[in-house]
Amino acid sequence: MPDEVNPQEIIGFLKPRIGARFRTWLKICSHCGICADTCHYYIANGNDPKMIPSYKVRFLVDLIKKKGKVDKEYLEKVYHTVYHECNMCRRCTLYCPFGIDIALMISLLRSLLFSQGLAPDGLVRAIENYKKFGNQMAVTEEDWVDTIEWCEEEMAEELVGLKIPIDKKGAKIMYTVNAREPMFYPQDIMEVAKIFHVAGEDWTVPRKEGWDDTNLAMFCGDIKTAKYIVQNTFKRAEELQVKQIAITE
Amino acid sequence: MDLYTFLYDLATGPLLWISFLTFIIGSLFRAGLYIMASRKMDKVTHEHFSLKYVFLGLVRWILPINRSVKKNPVFTILGYIFHICLIVVPIWYVGHISLWEDSRFGWTWTAIPDEWADYMTLTFLAIAVFFLLRRIFSKDIRLISTFSDYLLLVVTALPFLTGYFLSHGTLENVSFFGENMELIHMLCGELMLILIPFTKLSHFILFFFSRGATAVEFGRRGYSV
Ligand code: HEM
Ligand code: HEM
Ligand code: SF4
Ligand code: SF4
Repeated sequence: MPDEVNPQEIIGFLKPRIGARFRTWLKICSHCGICADTCHYYIANGNDPKMIPSYKVRFLVDLIKKKGKVDKEYLEKVYHTVYHECNMCRRCTLYCPFGIDIALMISLLRSLLFSQGLAPDGLVRAIENYKKFGNQMAVTEEDWVDTIEWCEEEMAEELVGLKIPIDKKGAKIMYTVNAREPMFYPQDIMEVAKIFHVAGEDWTVPRKEGWDDTNLAMFCGDIKTAKYIVQNTFKRAEELQVKQIAITE
Repeated sequence: MDLYTFLYDLATGPLLWISFLTFIIGSLFRAGLYIMASRKMDKVTHEHFSLKYVFLGLVRWILPINRSVKKNPVFTILGYIFHICLIVVPIWYVGHISLWEDSRFGWTWTAIPDEWADYMTLTFLAIAVFFLLRRIFSKDIRLISTFSDYLLLVVTALPFLTGYFLSHGTLENVSFFGENMELIHMLCGELMLILIPFTKLSHFILFFFSRGATAVEFGRRGYSV
């Protein structure tokens, strides 16, 4: 983590990303407070005014006004707000008369912090895993296939003829999971296999990366990795020529 | 030439032109800038553009048939009344229309009855005072209010206050105001018009874009617009 904050970097990052909507929202928010009690953080903190959605994006106005001339401490304050005071649920937007999308602006601030090397450790670790293994839990292709085959064997005892087809070209549905399932909850995969089997669906799971449908990179605004993760899934779907992608609950 | 004559000539001449043109051209510029920046940078709005969602969203939020009204009926209905007065009185007040008729344009249109204008002006002022007090005394609103929020509320209310004084001769016996109310009213009205394109008051036009863009974004995801 750099100690000095380079204002050019901050502005250089924000400028191409602050489109017409962002500018307009920052300008026209009438500070009416209608959004206040639509936010669960506001209510859960005993109606704390600091939790008013409109107040949380003050940093964006501030950063632009100060032309990015802020210090590390300031960015840590931003960090606290965008990670501990908003989970980007967008509920406030449903009530704002202008439809101001607070969550989108919080997401932009998270992106900015990520570009400055500020992000929660857990997410950073997951991102490394996505880049190396294509999934957040660092499951290797071998382990993934092993787990699926093991699930299939276990279930076939209960439901004769049950199959978990891997890389079946032309199947109707490609099924994707949360990478925690092969790691910790293989029974979830088995339950789903049961349903697909009994329903007589034509389905498959991909062998290569793309089977993890979580996207933790999105939560810290690492758009590049977030895109890479989604693209993997689509690539597999195209290779397997499936009609639909189903994601785990 | 004394100061009064100078200011009076200014307010009825160049400044009148400047204020109306700033308001009109400035607002068109705001709209144009939005469209240009949005074309270039808000790809999502254009790739998923849907008139249906935009229309639905605008209707729902221009009329009081949205979820905010249900949740906050008192504040939002006051907001609606505030805006109706704000738009109706300056345009359909007979005193203003007669000025247009006497002007080089010679335009004229049907006025609302004088009593309506009076009631609406007083209603507007009462709500403006309520909004101001709310900003000052509510812990929540005070925290999120900026200096310009207070200022613009006053700037918006001043033409109504001074207009009322002017048409009713309220302060006629107070020498300074008695002699200058017309000038004061015109300057207040002109100040408001000039500030609209440069401040959050530009929401009168940007509202449509902001609401529309969010309608597209929320509509395409199947959320409520
Ligand atoms: C189609 C036109 C307009 C729309 C849709 C609109 C919408 C809104 C909305 C949604 C709010 C916030 C909530 C509320 O206080 O009700 C607001 C506040 C406000 N509007 Fe408008 N507006 C319009 C025109 C105007 C105009 C022309 C002016 C004056 C020049 C104006 C002055 C204000 C002021 C001063 C506030 C803030 C009130 C406060 O301090 O709480 N509006 N407007
Ligand atoms: C910019 C140029 C303006 C001029 C030259 C102007 C002129 C006048 C005049 C001469 C009167 C008194 C008419 C009479 O006593 O017969 C008046 C009244 C009034 N004006 Fe304006 N005005 C202007 C702008 C505005 C604006 C922008 C607003 C509000 C947004 C406004 C609101 C009013 C109101 C509320 C009254 C009194 C209505 C009543 O009788 O209750 N005026 N104006
Ligand atoms: S409801 Fe919308 S306009 Fe009002 S304070 Fe919240 S974000 Fe701003
Ligand atoms: S998007 Fe953020 S600020 Fe808005 S309601 Fe959800 S948590 Fe609160």
